[in-house]
Amino acid sequence: MLECKSLGKIYHVDGNDVHALSDINITLPTGSFTVLVGPSGCGKTTLLRAFAGLIEPTTGSIHRDIPPCSVISPSLQIGYVFQEPRLMPWLTVSQNIGFGLKNKTSKQDLNRRVADVLSMMGLERFAQARPDQLSGGMASRVGLARALVGNPDLLLLDEPFAALDAMTRRRLQGELTTIWMARKPTVVFVTHDVEEAVLLGDVVYRMHAGLITERYDINIPRPRDPTTEKITAMRRLILQGFENEEQPSLINK
Amino acid sequence: MTDISNIDKYTIPTQTNFWGHVRSIALKISIPLIVIVATIALWAGSLTLLDIPSILLPSPAMAFSAAVELVCDGVLFEHIVVSIKRLTSGYILAVALSLPAAFMLSQSVWAKRILNPTLEFLRQIPPLAMMPLLILWLGIGEAQKVGIIILACFFPIFLGALGGIAQCDPKLKEVGRISGLNNPQILWRIVLPSALPAIVIGLRIALGQGWRALVGAELVASAAGLGYMIVDAENLARTDIIVVGIIVIGILGLTSDWVARWLIVRFAPWVKIDEGPANA
Repeated sequence: MLECKSLGKIYHVDGNDVHALSDINITLPTGSFTVLVGPSGCGKTTLLRAFAGLIEPTTGSIHRDIPPCSVISPSLQIGYVFQEPRLMPWLTVSQNIGFGLKNKTSKQDLNRRVADVLSMMGLERFAQARPDQLSGGMASRVGLARALVGNPDLLLLDEPFAALDAMTRRRLQGELTTIWMARKPTVVFVTHDVEEAVLLGDVVYRMHAGLITERYDINIPRPRDPTTEKITAMRRLILQGFENEEQPSLINK
Repeated sequence: MTDISNIDKYTIPTQTNFWGHVRSIALKISIPLIVIVATIALWAGSLTLLDIPSILLPSPAMAFSAAVELVCDGVLFEHIVVSIKRLTSGYILAVALSLPAAFMLSQSVWAKRILNPTLEFLRQIPPLAMMPLLILWLGIGEAQKVGIIILACFFPIFLGALGGIAQCDPKLKEVGRISGLNNPQILWRIVLPSALPAIVIGLRIALGQGWRALVGAELVASAAGLGYMIVDAENLARTDIIVVGIIVIGILGLTSDWVARWLIVRFAPWVKIDEGPANA
């Protein structure tokens, strides 16, 4: 389980205090699929980074209590998809994907895992390519493959499909759902696309100005079709929530 | 597969036609060749036109016969071997000192604060200005020549590495942290390769600086090496040998830079190297 207690994060920018997160209290059960949805600058990425342990919260605390189920290492295996691909320019696509697993598992196992995610992402032909030879969409798929290759217990995704064309996005949303249903990692997915949030999540948290403003439970069976009445109704509900939101300033002088 | 935009870009190298390849190689070789021939022609022409005595500037033919003479009696080869041995040992020692120093300094803010003023000061001193002290401390033997080369090579490599390490993208380091890497692993697997382009530039500049300092040291106090060959020729008024020495030094410098570039292309293909010489 992943638990935030009165979590807050303040950045000091040019003498001003920017409240990136204020008083976040949520509990994400192990094996759940949670989506954080909100406009740019609402604190989604900051919250995801706090979950990953990449930033220290200013106030409050985070408890990460997820039993590691992977065979690779006794510690918690985290997969993180950053907004940008963040590939090492000196490594090939295969080496980038296997980066975090190098020396942690046998060479055969590593090669097999890398080959599996390469084919899932449709990148087999580019296994030996270098990052500067890839298009933007391909690079972001490599970033996604790198996060998935270790079968993470905790999978954190920061707008992973934003750079992809609609067809690839739809296919990879399906793949992600399949992976989650098969292995039940704890997933936190950040997006500003409300439809994507409703298609993927068990629980959707609406965020605004560093606060969680609403929680939606999506009790729609999978696989989900974006054109069905239930999905569009839920989507409308969340969008209305955004429209009704006032626009408080992020900066408290 | 939805991305076909990049497939062309990816397969282009195998599609280049044979004659186009030959033409580009011919172009690459012919232009420098023409420049060299023209320079020699200009050199020979100006001697006759301006009536310059050969004691001031020997003709290309005289330089060539001096070169043949030096090659045949093995003198040139001996001097070259001595110089290259000195450069290699000094260069290797400089690399062995400067790279670890740069990595250690980059890891500690306080070490940087304390050592930076001293290093900035030392950096300004031309290695040859240290010659008198080095002769006193190390004698006039090999140790002193190697010492000069270390002084000349240390700072280009050290500063290149320090800059490269500082420029490492913190976003890539985060990838390492997420992957569960500890600090030494992040240094080895992320910071070092990402600093490599800057390190490579430092290594190439150091090679050029090393040559200069070596020849300088051999000019001042030595009994062998290319610099000594030039001074010895000066004492005998053999300007033809001096010219041969200068040309050989230039050729060796160029060759070592070519080798360095070839090594980069072969072992670090992601490092972009400029076309011009790095030791400007």
